[in-house]
Amino acid sequence: MWIRKTIATLSLTIAVGMIVSQASSNAADGDTKADKKKAKQLKLLEAKKKAEAEKPPEPANGGKAVVISKTPPAAPAKPMATEALAKMIDMGIDKPLKDAKIQVSSQSSDAEFLRRVCLDITGVVPTVERASAFLDDRSPDKRAKLINELLSAPEFGKHQSDIWTVMMNPIDSENRFVSKAPLREWLTEKFNANMHWDTMAYELMTATGDLDKNGATGYMMANRGVDKMTDSVGKLFLGVQIQCAQCHNHPFTHWKQTEYWGLAQFFYKVNVSNPRAAKDGGTITVNEDGRVNRKVNALPEAAKHVSAKYLGSDEVKLNSSEPYRPALAQWICTPSNPFFAKAFVNRIWSQYFGRGIVNPVDDLSDENVPTHPELLANLSKEFAASGFDIKHLIRGICNSQAYQRSSKPLGDNRDDKTMFSHQGIKVLTAEQLFDSLAAVLGVPGGGKDGGKAKMAPAPKGGPQGPRDQFALFFMGTETAKPTEYEAGIPQALRLMNSPLMANGRLLSAANRIAEVARPATTPDKAIEKLYLGTLSRRPSTDELKKMKDYVAKQTDPKQAYSDVMWVLLNSSEFTLNR
Amino acid sequence: MFLNTLSEKNRRDFMKLSSMGVFGASFSGWMNVLAARAATTAANPKAKAKHCILVWQDGGPSHKDTWDLKPESKGAGDFKQIKTSATGIQISEHLPKLAQWMNQGVLIRGMSTAEGAHPRAKYNMHTGYREGQGGLVYPSIGAIVSKEIGRADASIPNYVTIGGRSFGSGFIGPKHQPLIVSDPNRGVQDLASQVSTGQFDNRVGLLQELESAFYHDYQADSINDHKTTYARAVTMMKSKEAKAFDLSAEPSSSRSAFASDNFSQGLLMARRLVEVGVPFVEVGLGGWDTHQDNFARLKDNLLPKLDGGVAALLKDLKEHGLLDSTLVIVMGEFGRTPNINTRGDKPGRDHFPKAWSLAMFGAGLKHGTVYGKTDKEGGTVEEGKTNAMDFLATVCTLLGVDYTKENETPTKRPIRIVDKAGKPITSLIA
Repeated sequence: MWIRKTIATLSLTIAVGMIVSQASSNAADGDTKADKKKAKQLKLLEAKKKAEAEKPPEPANGGKAVVISKTPPAAPAKPMATEALAKMIDMGIDKPLKDAKIQVSSQSSDAEFLRRVCLDITGVVPTVERASAFLDDRSPDKRAKLINELLSAPEFGKHQSDIWTVMMNPIDSENRFVSKAPLREWLTEKFNANMHWDTMAYELMTATGDLDKNGATGYMMANRGVDKMTDSVGKLFLGVQIQCAQCHNHPFTHWKQTEYWGLAQFFYKVNVSNPRAAKDGGTITVNEDGRVNRKVNALPEAAKHVSAKYLGSDEVKLNSSEPYRPALAQWICTPSNPFFAKAFVNRIWSQYFGRGIVNPVDDLSDENVPTHPELLANLSKEFAASGFDIKHLIRGICNSQAYQRSSKPLGDNRDDKTMFSHQGIKVLTAEQLFDSLAAVLGVPGGGKDGGKAKMAPAPKGGPQGPRDQFALFFMGTETAKPTEYEAGIPQALRLMNSPLMANGRLLSAANRIAEVARPATTPDKAIEKLYLGTLSRRPSTDELKKMKDYVAKQTDPKQAYSDVMWVLLNSSEFTLNR
Repeated sequence: MFLNTLSEKNRRDFMKLSSMGVFGASFSGWMNVLAARAATTAANPKAKAKHCILVWQDGGPSHKDTWDLKPESKGAGDFKQIKTSATGIQISEHLPKLAQWMNQGVLIRGMSTAEGAHPRAKYNMHTGYREGQGGLVYPSIGAIVSKEIGRADASIPNYVTIGGRSFGSGFIGPKHQPLIVSDPNRGVQDLASQVSTGQFDNRVGLLQELESAFYHDYQADSINDHKTTYARAVTMMKSKEAKAFDLSAEPSSSRSAFASDNFSQGLLMARRLVEVGVPFVEVGLGGWDTHQDNFARLKDNLLPKLDGGVAALLKDLKEHGLLDSTLVIVMGEFGRTPNINTRGDKPGRDHFPKAWSLAMFGAGLKHGTVYGKTDKEGGTVEEGKTNAMDFLATVCTLLGVDYTKENETPTKRPIRIVDKAGKPITSLIA
């Protein structure tokens, strides 16, 4: 919880943070030799790092002039079995509920679970076929099987990539020339390959090279300037909001300006070419060529006498002939780092439960107490012990009873918002909504190819196809939470009245899903399939009767199915994840 | 947390709408309820201005060629100044119609701001904060006005922008996002149903039944939010206020007073919206980024369009009895260099946030006043230096909005409407 009177009242004059670092493209172009040399160095570093990673958890030091704090890791040596992990989660959730005497909702129905897990893992509602097959499947382990299937689907990576791209390439006027596509594709690929989070984070934080050759550079590219890099790395990889300490000692946490500028030192050699260059077909690059770029990254007064320093930890003597970022990344991406595993676990938890164990999700600090501290600690330990295996973590969560609980409140647990007595009802992300609508309506640009609709490569960071345009419209220019679409009047009007919802399209979708035009199709069958195809469940007796009555009352019953489709797609049950 | 705070409010709004029958089981209630609604805002009764029309000169107009001419200076340019209806105030010869309205307006000639790049400067002038400051996205003045004096139960949004996207509601939430009208001649996108009214009503009726069953089982705030938003959208589609977006409904006598270009038509729409109670409308006119060919572009196109359009708007507001309750602001994101650049054979002026001007007309102002003064080159503010925060504090005060009020972010951080350093220019306020 935020405490009153903080940065809002701070003087604008300390806008030192507004150092806009746009290195001239000349500087970047002229240094191909240095680039090559650096690429080699980085490869070596990478190899070294990978070798180290195989004998965790000792952090790699590489003989460099850095001091890495060596907290002995308390993590077990091997990842748990999925069942054990799920059980650990359930113990962590159930005990506090029991102690607080809060009722626990029942297990989700198969239909609730199916739609939820499809949306959470793959970002799109299941097809009619998948829905009916799953609902009719009698095998006892069908949920675990479905979870595994979904985790292996290419949409898993695409969905995670959508979520992380929004955070890593924030909407900012200075990012209008930074194409999101390379970063998004890079993330999709790595999430799908289950690259472990430490490696992924390391590569993102230390990326160098051309944007079109190394999509990971898109992250630094979209956070140009030491202030933005410091803020973003703090938030995304450490789960810490350190940005306030940029201008002043944080009054209510222990983050001091020295911490901020200590962390910022690691980014002073980053050279990002001006993304405008891409407009004319030029290359845009991130490099770290050995010189501190004081001209671009002018050092504010507040930072002049600060040494590089790991957050809340030791000062470091950096070797000025080496790149700086790897030193930081090596400190971050280890099991012993006090923030790294927690930050990721908390974010994934919030994706799957609609709320973090710590909220806001990027504000892990002693003052912001987690609702389930022990569970967060245990999960983080396990995540680190597994070598930061993302799919392992998600598989464990999805197999837990806590995740598989119904979102229907039971008795007075309706008022419980923090103890996870029932599942949260989540608002779909703009991409989840588009992909689900597109899947139902058979619109191109959704479903499997949505991530990279083949269009002429757009040089700018603007929308690159119907999916991007939809996402931008539903996300607004700014959004309170990157994982929720903006549900305002213009968005409702679009869902009700746009050509996307034209009668012809609704009818042809109804035909594709339920063959409503065939004389042999009974209203019962048609309505059942339309429910399965949109809400991933069969209608209740009452609903079936209502819909049948409605269809029968219309002068043209076949036309009436466009109404049924319209209603189902505009319902909150469709636009929410229950 | 954001959803919780939003929902508390939306729940109340929803109850209100429900009790009025807007989203109840019967449709017959709709039209009656809407007809009964008065075209007023929830404005502070003490403030004279209840509405604001912001005329946005996108790209940054040259102050030395509009409101603050310096005939004796080095980069004086081609234009002469002329007398206006306000004693002692002279403005550009290419704003002759607005010159006649100057006794109903004021000038700020001491604007001095910190941002020189378009997007950041626009952000700064709309929000009073700098982009990225404190890791937040701040609400624009339109969203603030919507929140503070807009009616919660209004059938159309309290913040409308015409002719391009403006800045949104930031941390105060989607309810105060602007409704965007890209082309005034085409009205609001997706406002009309794809099917007949009868069929649309059938659909909405069926949807309501589905919604109640779902809410009954799950009782989540987000379900209520969805219902509320849909109720508002449907209300808007059905409302007589939404007719304000249809310019073809305007009597030809008043319509013909506005030129046929999109900007002028947008101004007409702004008056129609003010008339039905919308407290904040922004109308954009692009093209002011005159690095090249500054003088011809201003003289032949931009200034006549601005002059004719805004003068027609003021006259029209007056004739509709709305000028006494409407504040009209004419501005861009910064001024332009006092010197003329050397770009080719058609020179222009470059970005200049250090010293510039803007104009305001209508309600709440001490008419015929000038605040601030630049040096003889128009390059430095000598008196009455005014930054984005001071300016927005002034606008808030004129509209009866307490600029010192704190709004909470989704994470409960209290953020003042205008940051502490901002002070309103009291000498401009009647």
